[in-house]
Amino acid sequence: MSGGRFFQPAPRLKALLAEPGGMRASDALRRADRAVLEIRGRCLSGIDQKVEEILAASKSDAPSAMDRCYRLSNEIYAEAGVFGLVELSGVAHSLCTLLAESELDRIPREAIAVHVDALRALRSPAVAENRQLRTAVVAELRALTARMSAPRAGPAR
Amino acid sequence: MSTPDPNAVFNLTKASVLVVEQSQHSLDVTSQMLKGFGAGEIVRGEALAEVEKRVESRPFELIVIDPSIEDGRGYHFLTALRRSAGPNAYTPVIIVSGHVRSADVARARDTGANYVVTKPISPAVLLQRILYVGRDRRQFVQTPTYVGPDRRFKFEGPPPGCEGRRSTDLKAPIGAAEEPNMSEAELEAFFKPQRVSL
Repeated sequence: MSGGRFFQPAPRLKALLAEPGGMRASDALRRADRAVLEIRGRCLSGIDQKVEEILAASKSDAPSAMDRCYRLSNEIYAEAGVFGLVELSGVAHSLCTLLAESELDRIPREAIAVHVDALRALRSPAVAENRQLRTAVVAELRALTARMSAPRAGPAR
Repeated sequence: MSTPDPNAVFNLTKASVLVVEQSQHSLDVTSQMLKGFGAGEIVRGEALAEVEKRVESRPFELIVIDPSIEDGRGYHFLTALRRSAGPNAYTPVIIVSGHVRSADVARARDTGANYVVTKPISPAVLLQRILYVGRDRRQFVQTPTYVGPDRRFKFEGPPPGCEGRRSTDLKAPIGAAEEPNMSEAELEAFFKPQRVSL
């Protein structure tokens, strides 16, 4: 990086943060937590809708379908995590990894389907409120995806 | 560095923050957090064409952006912003990103953003990063391939066996110490004020 120009910009943010009349970080965090909770219901409805959109996109042959699945699962990963839905967020992350690492024309549709099933199950009231069931759903998903990614035995010679 | 000091006092009431996300819900989440922090104005951007017009026309004190917007065009937007002569060329930028494809990790690093925060974000982490970038003393670097805050956080000299690329890197080995270390009393004497008679 030799030959670069170094300089010190003076962004206004620094001066504004230090102005009198501010608030304590602990108060700000309490207010932010409350503000985020206000939109929890709306966001969770949005997640349910995105799960169904992933399923629909995964059945499409459109070139952009897998990118759409990736984007939607990425949104679920981020938004579920904000509300502490760890398992839901984790399953969405697993789907992101699957979609990001596979070549576009080799993404196993059945693997997407089992992820969607897991996401739906985790959003059902009976599972969502029971930690043991949530853990069982994630364990089942892991077992299924491991089985799918294992090399299939060829015919005996 | 994941939670701010609870007693730290800050003021965002006069700050205009631009939040750019493709997902309406993610936009809502980040905006609600900023509302809780008392941000004076929160401007939401869901389409890059509209965001580009906004950053050209007025200054913001902070930009929070998920660069995966519009199939990754957000990365190009940030790079162009840093190279622009507009009112936000040096505005602090926090990237918020979810799952990142391996190819995009380097792109995020090269955009010239001040900080990258991984989703899911929590209010504590977002506030901590805002306070950090607000007090960030790193210089900006302008080179043909990069414009943004100096990405080198540590100053530990060049790696062993490599010649340093900084103008301040020593070109010859320092060598072994020639004298014993100073004692604690000698060190304290440096800082102890003493009355002197003139």
